[in-house]
Amino acid sequence: MDVVVLLKQVPDTETVIKIGPDGKSIVTNDIKWVINPYDEYAVEAALRLKDSQGAHVTILSLGPQRAIESIRSALAMGADQGVLVDDPATEGSDALGKARILAAALKGIPFDLIVGGHRAVDDDENQVGIMVAELLAVPHLALAVALTVENGQVRIDRPIEGAKLTLEAPLPAMVTFGGAHAVWNPRYASLPGIMKAKKKPLEVKKLADLGLTPDQVGAAAAKVKVSVLEMPTPRQAGVKVEGDTAGKARELVRLLHEEAKVI
Amino acid sequence: MQPGHFPANLLFVLVFAAALGLFYLTARKLCRILLLGQPEDRFDQLGRRLWGVLTFVLGQRRVVREPSGWGHFFIFWGFIIITIGSLETFGVGLYHGFAYWKILGKPFTAVLYLLQDLLCAGVLIALYYAIQRRYVERPERLRFRDQEAHDQEAGIIIGMILVLIVLLFGARAVEYRLAQVEPGQYFPLTAFISVILSVPFAWLSEPHLLEWFSFFWCGHTLLILGFLVYIPFSKHLHILGAIPNVFFRRFRPIGELTKLNLEDESVETYGVSKIEEFTWKQNLDLYACTECGRCSDNCPANLTGKPLSPKETIHNLKKHVLAKGKLLLEQGEAKEGQPAEGAAAELSKALVGEVCLNDEIWSCTTCGNCMEHCPVFIEHIQKYVDMRRYLVLMESNFPPEVQTVLRNWETNSNPWGIAFATRGDWAKGLEVKTLAENPEVEYLFYVGCTGSFDERGKKVTNAMIKLLNQAGVSFGILGAEEKCCGETARRIGNEYLFQSMATELAETINGYGVKKIITTCPHGYNCLKNEYPQFGGNWEVYHHTEFLAKLLKEGRLKPQRRLDKRLTFHDSCYLGRYNDLYEEPRSLLTSIPGLRLSEMERHRNKSFCCGAGGGRMWMEETLGVQKINEARTDQALALDPEIIAVSCPFCTIMFEDGLKAREKEETVKVYDIAELLAQALETEK
Repeated sequence: MDVVVLLKQVPDTETVIKIGPDGKSIVTNDIKWVINPYDEYAVEAALRLKDSQGAHVTILSLGPQRAIESIRSALAMGADQGVLVDDPATEGSDALGKARILAAALKGIPFDLIVGGHRAVDDDENQVGIMVAELLAVPHLALAVALTVENGQVRIDRPIEGAKLTLEAPLPAMVTFGGAHAVWNPRYASLPGIMKAKKKPLEVKKLADLGLTPDQVGAAAAKVKVSVLEMPTPRQAGVKVEGDTAGKARELVRLLHEEAKVI
Repeated sequence: MQPGHFPANLLFVLVFAAALGLFYLTARKLCRILLLGQPEDRFDQLGRRLWGVLTFVLGQRRVVREPSGWGHFFIFWGFIIITIGSLETFGVGLYHGFAYWKILGKPFTAVLYLLQDLLCAGVLIALYYAIQRRYVERPERLRFRDQEAHDQEAGIIIGMILVLIVLLFGARAVEYRLAQVEPGQYFPLTAFISVILSVPFAWLSEPHLLEWFSFFWCGHTLLILGFLVYIPFSKHLHILGAIPNVFFRRFRPIGELTKLNLEDESVETYGVSKIEEFTWKQNLDLYACTECGRCSDNCPANLTGKPLSPKETIHNLKKHVLAKGKLLLEQGEAKEGQPAEGAAAELSKALVGEVCLNDEIWSCTTCGNCMEHCPVFIEHIQKYVDMRRYLVLMESNFPPEVQTVLRNWETNSNPWGIAFATRGDWAKGLEVKTLAENPEVEYLFYVGCTGSFDERGKKVTNAMIKLLNQAGVSFGILGAEEKCCGETARRIGNEYLFQSMATELAETINGYGVKKIITTCPHGYNCLKNEYPQFGGNWEVYHHTEFLAKLLKEGRLKPQRRLDKRLTFHDSCYLGRYNDLYEEPRSLLTSIPGLRLSEMERHRNKSFCCGAGGGRMWMEETLGVQKINEARTDQALALDPEIIAVSCPFCTIMFEDGLKAREKEETVKVYDIAELLAQALETEK
């Protein structure tokens, strides 16, 4: 069985974000880049299939050279090979553009199952996975917290309010993952794993290698554009109301009425 | 047949040679088992090594640290003197007319006999004490999981020594009676105990006396030879192991763990998962163990009911190395054929997980109390870390909470995972510059993770800034450029992560040409001082208590404001036992007017770990009957202090948690010494 993991490199969630001078992007130096946590769950799920059924796991990523570090991390965890699409012409792609690139790349990689996070924690669009499935015309199962593959069928569990939904689809299929760290517990790479990862095959591809032209993707083709990025207003310090109970109540009502203007 | 006459002397030579032969074969096997281990150089400073043998073996310096050690002192010296006496007995076995006084002179022999008689009597008393301790008092530390086997073995040893002494006294007493027949051959004044014991033999005729002498002599000799053959199979293997183990003891700082070679790509396994992956010295440690139990008696994990007792660890490792080593040697000789069923089981027994349990390995706080009190210098901590290295680097097998903290170090270079870019934020608004702003300073103040990110730790950092500025010290910080030293990652066993952290930090510090460093965390202090030389970091490193004590001595700090408080001081493991800083923190405390210091029972080198060392700070403490920090807090509370003074950010957190658990956080306060000193320097308003 061939499993392909769609993996995105994102800033570590603790990163102090600074907006760039263009007001539409963030400053990317001084950022620690990590594997998108939901993609990491997908890596873990794929590796469990490798452990139990001998699946061959390929990591596919779209991004600049630095993304190689994240691909190597996944290889260190146990994946077999990596493919990175790195082309300046892909910059500024919207979700559909990215999906086109990934779908084109997937035409050159054998797969029975495609897995990935249901969203990336950087721009939180929740779209690329679904679009890739659509472009490849394979069924898509979203928000998996459990995964089994049996007799050419993939089955997932998805939590819904107060219950659990079990969904099934024939292979080839696309599964996007939800859950949390505690659900998937992605493995910690062993040192021999890290050493071996340095020697595992990792291919870097350009748009032309995928049979795409720059006008199909990138900023020019983007239907969704970022017009402005703004930081949320910083939280104001709270106000502590002092005094006896009656005084406190009176003061609180006054503040809510005059300052906060909510009553 | 009479001893020393033909053919008895021939028979004696044969028996003696057979015993020696058996002993030689066993000793040779023991050495070959050691040589299955990895190489390690312990052949430097030979003079100092010999001196160590004189003081710690002959002088029993560590043994007599405890009252029960004096029992061992007498048995040990009794053994030596009696062995000298035994050589005379062997001489008699060769030739009946042999006697020391004939070759060594009468005065010397007279003194020797006096010593022998006294020490033999001393040994009897010590044996009584040993029996009392082992079978009646049964202190905790002499207990084992497989108690019966241990009691039996100890019984055999005690019994053998007892019979040996009785027979020796018998032989001496009869000798004295015989000497009355041939006057001038004995020393009644000095060997007075033998003389008194000879009374029951007084009415025997010479032939009967000779018969008795044969009996005593043969019994004594055979028992000694039997002892020689039995030693290597018993816990008295320590007689053979301890002396070389003291000789080959470690001179490097105990706070310096070995550096793994991660560059060599031919290496396929890291850490230790097989007994032959330990070095020969690490396995010699096992031979040396006397099972005295002082390690476990001082082990915070053991004393709070964790599945770790260093004594059991060493004992189990010893059993395993002897059994597996023997099989490996046989296998090496045979080359072919399948090992027997039992042998296969021993050979495939997992060192990590079976001989030593994972929970046992993870329970260690690396506090060093076991090593500090081991009379034969066994090095426990490196073994636990080596096994952790295997678990972490090879198996990624560790308590789940460890993964989070490892990730946090990887991404943000601090255990909480707080954004690394905010590391220097504590300094905002304070009188302190970064080295980037002003590299022309004498000292780097390496603040560390807790001092940079933890709210409580930041208060100590602030106090330090005040003190350093007040004393006019020229210093700077790294600010956001500072990174975690990696100490804890190393002790958790993640040598790979540690080495990448250490290489990076050493480069940053060296990039500013730093020569001297001050730290407030004993863990960072130990790591920078003793481990960073492995990464090109050769600096003069000061712990803040050490540095402040220096400033105090130079008169640059003058604590004047009275603090009328009762306090106790908790020695941090990595400051005290690891780096021998006991006086410096105390000198600071006694310099503050009004402070009344009282010491806990376990203080200085016996200090009881707060429970946070060795990465335990970042692991859940779910095993055992009590939490280590609460046990230590109780020990402090027994003195009814108003303040618990500490010198380590981890200890601060552990005590504050302990006080909360005892609902004493309002009445008893935990302060770092720097905070107390800063308070004492404030002018009263």
